[in-house]
Amino acid sequence: MSIKDKVPVTILTGFLGSGKTTLLNRILSEEHGKRIAVIENEYGEVGIDQGLVINADEEVFEMSNGCICCTVRGDLIRVLGNLMKRRDKFDYVLVETTGLADPGPVAQTFFMDEEISSEFTLDGIVTLVDAAHIDQQLGRSDESSEQVAFADVLVLNKTDLVSDDALDTLESRLRDMNRMTRIIRAENAKVPIETVLNLSAFDLDQILKRRPTFLEPEYPFEWTGVYDLDAGKYELMLEEGPDPEMSLVALVNQGENEEELKDGAESSVRLYAEKANTLEPGNTIPYGEHINLKLEDKGNKSFILNIEKPTKIGLFTQHTAEEFNMKVIKSEENKEIPFNTERFWQAEHEHDDEVTSIAIERFGDVDPEKLNTWLGRLLSEKGVDIFRTKGFISYSGNPQRIVFQGVHMLFTAQPDKEWGNEPRRNQLVFIGRNLDEKEMKEGFDKCLI
Amino acid sequence: MPDIESFSPRGMFHEGWTAEVNDYAIVCGWATKGKLFIVGDVAGGIFAFEGDTGKIIWKKENTHSGGLLAMSIHPEGEIFATSGQDGNIQIYNCHEGKVIKTLDLGKAWVEHLKWSNDGLFLAAASSKKVYVFNEIGEEKWVSDDHPSTVSAIKWSNNNELATACYGRVTFFDIVNNKTNQKLEWQGSLVSMELSPDGDIVACGSQDNSVHFWRRSTGMDAEMTGYPGKPSHLSFDDSGKLLATSGSERITVWSFIGDGPEGTMPGELWHHTEPISSLAFSNKGMLVASGSRDGSVVASFLKKDGNGDPVGAAFAGDLVGALSWRPDDCALAAVNAKGVVNVWKFKVRTNSF
Repeated sequence: MSIKDKVPVTILTGFLGSGKTTLLNRILSEEHGKRIAVIENEYGEVGIDQGLVINADEEVFEMSNGCICCTVRGDLIRVLGNLMKRRDKFDYVLVETTGLADPGPVAQTFFMDEEISSEFTLDGIVTLVDAAHIDQQLGRSDESSEQVAFADVLVLNKTDLVSDDALDTLESRLRDMNRMTRIIRAENAKVPIETVLNLSAFDLDQILKRRPTFLEPEYPFEWTGVYDLDAGKYELMLEEGPDPEMSLVALVNQGENEEELKDGAESSVRLYAEKANTLEPGNTIPYGEHINLKLEDKGNKSFILNIEKPTKIGLFTQHTAEEFNMKVIKSEENKEIPFNTERFWQAEHEHDDEVTSIAIERFGDVDPEKLNTWLGRLLSEKGVDIFRTKGFISYSGNPQRIVFQGVHMLFTAQPDKEWGNEPRRNQLVFIGRNLDEKEMKEGFDKCLI
Repeated sequence: MPDIESFSPRGMFHEGWTAEVNDYAIVCGWATKGKLFIVGDVAGGIFAFEGDTGKIIWKKENTHSGGLLAMSIHPEGEIFATSGQDGNIQIYNCHEGKVIKTLDLGKAWVEHLKWSNDGLFLAAASSKKVYVFNEIGEEKWVSDDHPSTVSAIKWSNNNELATACYGRVTFFDIVNNKTNQKLEWQGSLVSMELSPDGDIVACGSQDNSVHFWRRSTGMDAEMTGYPGKPSHLSFDDSGKLLATSGSERITVWSFIGDGPEGTMPGELWHHTEPISSLAFSNKGMLVASGSRDGSVVASFLKKDGNGDPVGAAFAGDLVGALSWRPDDCALAAVNAKGVVNVWKFKVRTNSF
């Protein structure tokens, strides 16, 4: 049976009071032409209005081998096993879990049980969070951070009860925990149906279309400007900004296309790792060094840039130019020289939560055997802490892209579309708890050919 | 839809009759000593056919709102019981299909039903509880809550009922309201069969294994290596051979001698897709197997569990259930499309 014939299943998770039943009722009452069977673990609170609804108590079944990744949900196997004999009655399944449910066993059921996986396909995991309470819940319970980590879609519900600033902060916290997820703000669980059903959430092309930068690494700087400068003396002028100081790296001969910008960024990352030299206003900025501009004084501050022969200067700055109204001025003519190109980078920030996402992006091909050994070992050692894995890989000698997806230790690798003229590359995202990014990246790099 | 092509009955199978029910057929059985064949479909339709001809005698529709889940025909063959998602049990007269009694167990699904061997009791499993009624539907016993939903029930003798659930098989003396024995195993038990003498307990487990216990010695063993979960098990009438599903092959464990521990099982490769139904004949070492590919094969087994096919037929779609006529001279198969096939089973004398 091909994936198209399988019945898609959406899992709805979220703490009690996050609005799951409201969303469920909304989905069931809307005209979308789907006949939805609902399996409800949490009932009694608010009734479900209509549809084929089956109540079942959550039953988590661990296996005798003690492996948490083999743990499945007995109630789902039982109910879905019956539903699969009634395929003419429905074409979609929604599972509403209890507020305290671990999404792992729910998702694993669709990988581990052959009878279930031959008839049903996990379309996506939708997690509702109560914008007013999630901050506290994340601090208190593992379940809520796991529900966030597993989510393909996070519905940030009850936004009317929280200020916009607080929502922005919350969204960035959730984004740090799960960089693959799509975050939707909602009042009273009012979200467009197509954002929660038929996600094909495991389809990476879709994710990339939505958020082309989700795999991009984080940088210690937010902005780069490239200035085309003749020989002479220039001033870098800054007004008052959000910080009393700012880190900067200035590079000569900085190219302007994407690849050259990334090369420059990479050099700058290495320079940023070195200790910064503090520079008081009026001093000359050295090239290829990590410096820290002192910006404590009121009013305009200026630093000197000396250009011996015409070149393109790249300024990699901790904050954006706009924040300090930063300008490059040719001293003799007192004329502003605008940048030729600018590029914004995803800024690095503190990760407070144990649950984080790690993205690996590398051009080139990998050796399938080495990758299998590495990934197999990684998942068997860290599988408990790795909640979700998604990505695609370029196997050497294979014209097709290989799509990876996994839940804890379980993963599948399937050939996808042909690479064609696209540059061959690898993109993998891991969402998990206490992951060692450096070690994982090094491990992956050893699989490259 | 199955990928294999239709074929005419072969070997000891011969054309019999076919009929149709309204929906996916999930249960079937012979009543009134083989004169009647009763089929239940997933939507709650129940149909009685004349055993020899397939002529419809009576039918009932929408018997259980939400759908039918189980059926058990009384050993005398005059009455039978059904249960469903509506939490009800109904006891019927086989001849006219008249409801004698309706029992309401509440909201939960009633997933398993079994008459005791002497026909005095009817056991029913609903969620974490098991109920026992007498022939006229009076409640005689009810269990406490099991640790999880009960996944299988089976009578080990006239007064003793075995139940399986996550982590445990329990034997209850339902007359004296006593727990006789608890067999524990950390795993989700999805199926259970007992040898006819009640000594050997075999359970298929979610982790793709079969677990055995011998009640008399307390010994247990785990048989691993199945590609899928062994949801279907069948003992022969002597209790020496246990046929198990779990893939497209039939794995047969032999309890003769020191086996099956440390022995190789018999393996029968007749089907292209996983086994969906297994049934030993009422007498002798003949096992019928039905597959998701719609094929049905009868195999004659040797003491070591290996054996040869003696007949094959095509049921058209995933075989939902198989049932040998009490005299073993016919085999019935019902499928996911609601088609009923009954083949005569006898030696071919005019094959050339």
